[in-house]
Amino acid sequence: MTDSHVIVEHLVKTYPGASAPSVDDVGFSLPRGEMLALLGPSGCGKTTMLRMIAGLVAPSSGSIRLNGREISQIPVHKRNMGMVFQAYALFPHLSVAENIAFGLEMRGVAKAERVEKVKRALDLVKLTGLGDRRITQLSGGQQQRCAIARSLVIEPELLLLDEPLSNLDAKLRDEMRDEIREIQNRTGVTAIFVTHDQDEALSMADRLAVMSAGKLEQIGSPREIFDRPQTDFVASFIGAGNFLTGQTTGRGEAQVEGVGAVRFVGEAAHGSRVRLLVRPHRLALVEAGSGGVNRFAGRVENVVYRGQLMSITVAAQGVRLQADIPTHAGALPERGQQVTLSVAPEDVTLVGAEASPPMDPAI
Amino acid sequence: MSTPTLSSTPPKRRHRGLLLVLLAPGLLALLATFILPMAWLFRASFSDSVMAAFGGGWTLTHYLAAVTDPFYWRVALNTLTLGVAVSFFAVLLGYPIALFLARTQSRWRGVLTALAVAPLLTSAVVRTYGWMVILGDRGVVNGSLQALSLIDTPLRLSNNSFGATVALVEILMPYAILAMLAGFGRLSTQLEEAAAMLGANRLRVFWRIILPLSLPGILTGALLVFVMAISSFVTPRLMGGGRVFVLGTEVFNEATVTLNWPLAAALSIVLLVLFSSVIVIYQRALRRLEE
Repeated sequence: MTDSHVIVEHLVKTYPGASAPSVDDVGFSLPRGEMLALLGPSGCGKTTMLRMIAGLVAPSSGSIRLNGREISQIPVHKRNMGMVFQAYALFPHLSVAENIAFGLEMRGVAKAERVEKVKRALDLVKLTGLGDRRITQLSGGQQQRCAIARSLVIEPELLLLDEPLSNLDAKLRDEMRDEIREIQNRTGVTAIFVTHDQDEALSMADRLAVMSAGKLEQIGSPREIFDRPQTDFVASFIGAGNFLTGQTTGRGEAQVEGVGAVRFVGEAAHGSRVRLLVRPHRLALVEAGSGGVNRFAGRVENVVYRGQLMSITVAAQGVRLQADIPTHAGALPERGQQVTLSVAPEDVTLVGAEASPPMDPAI
Repeated sequence: MSTPTLSSTPPKRRHRGLLLVLLAPGLLALLATFILPMAWLFRASFSDSVMAAFGGGWTLTHYLAAVTDPFYWRVALNTLTLGVAVSFFAVLLGYPIALFLARTQSRWRGVLTALAVAPLLTSAVVRTYGWMVILGDRGVVNGSLQALSLIDTPLRLSNNSFGATVALVEILMPYAILAMLAGFGRLSTQLEEAAAMLGANRLRVFWRIILPLSLPGILTGALLVFVMAISSFVTPRLMGGGRVFVLGTEVFNEATVTLNWPLAAALSIVLLVLFSSVIVIYQRALRRLEE
């Protein structure tokens, strides 16, 4: 068994006066040293989730365990967690070093040790020598680093980050993304961050929890979430996708209207209605008339050249497919041209199945 | 002639003209109601003719009288003491209210703020009379205490500086609350949450975060109340029962009882110079604090 550092069970939060719970029966566990992303559209309850773990919001019911100890009744200031706020929440009346030292001071750490630890924290986030600066003298990226240093210097049990990159410009965002990941790796701290940005979640997290309308849709590694989404919501929220609806005719095979037989990966009862996901970049152009499974012949309706890739829209028998094709020096598909697309069965994912009475028992 | 210079400079000129036109009504009003009277006051303070303050020659007698007479020094000290006491208590009592109004998430916040400053809708004179009813020798407080046989002779709650201070604190508290609210801009619940996450309990959050960040508001409120208290006239006069001497009442006495307008003018100018320098020093300190 992996050592679960954080275990959340049946967590519910209903704000007074609200008709529906903001967080509705969410549970997951997080191994020590891993980084979890809480991902979802705004209003999905991910921030409430984070604030409940932090102790800033009291759960309506459910349990939060840290190191096997129930913490949902412990007040915020005794939880020993570090939190990086979206707007950083640095104390404007204190210097950079005083901000970082604040948590140590609250813990009664002696002056000399405090100075030493602050210095090391500044080095960790590459703010060496800026300890005497005022907060207002720091750039956005430096404020972010200062906030991270402040929450890490107390050696927290858990590091929480609320939309850590949303206040930075695009270039800085990529830089800080790598940096936060690196700092987390180096310190080995278990971390949970909230984001609405799927790229951020996929690239930073060891584990991704997708939330929608207060419920946990799916939790897994970024690859599992991207390649094997289990619900319609996850499939459409993460990445672009083509959805095919059909009826299973056998193990791993479905009849899609207008297209014919499509082979896929996943278990669904014979004769049930299924929804299949095909990612645009998994579709490839093949010679017309070449044999094999999962062929979609059609006319190119639209072409968007994007440098490394080109996105083409193909109207194939009953469906419209989006495909991202790698570009090369040779001839590229043009609007109006007849093309054939193909996809490997393992790249067709079953995202939803519902049993329906077989229309024709003979099949 | 190049086009860019043509198109870039004239608009500014035109704007300046427009600016003057827009400012003119306000400037004229200021000139008529503030600058001219002040100039007249300044001239009158140097006049050697007691009644015709406009005419006469120039003299420094009134300033010498104002500066050398120990009575005026005592009055100035009284005024200062009253101002400090009133601003201290108005801020002390108003601070929790202002802090609550600044931090509450209640949807009644607007209503509560309006309620807190609602006393300003009644004139200070009316409220002073109210305090006379409450604190007078046969007032509510003394009446109740005597009815309960807790005291034999009435406590001296009015016609002294205690009564003046109490009434001024209540009358000026709404201003203190408003000024403090305006100065609490840097307070935020997120900073309090950040401090709590770092291990600070509520008391420490208050001392280390809320208090330092609300200090500019406290100082602004204190300054406003101080200025209004030292220049107050009606309340010290009515609540003091003629026994509380502050600069406001003295100027009034010189002007209407003694009919020595030049001395009243000189006292006013001294008051003005004295307290505007206090305010300048204070604001400089405040600005340093806010950096």
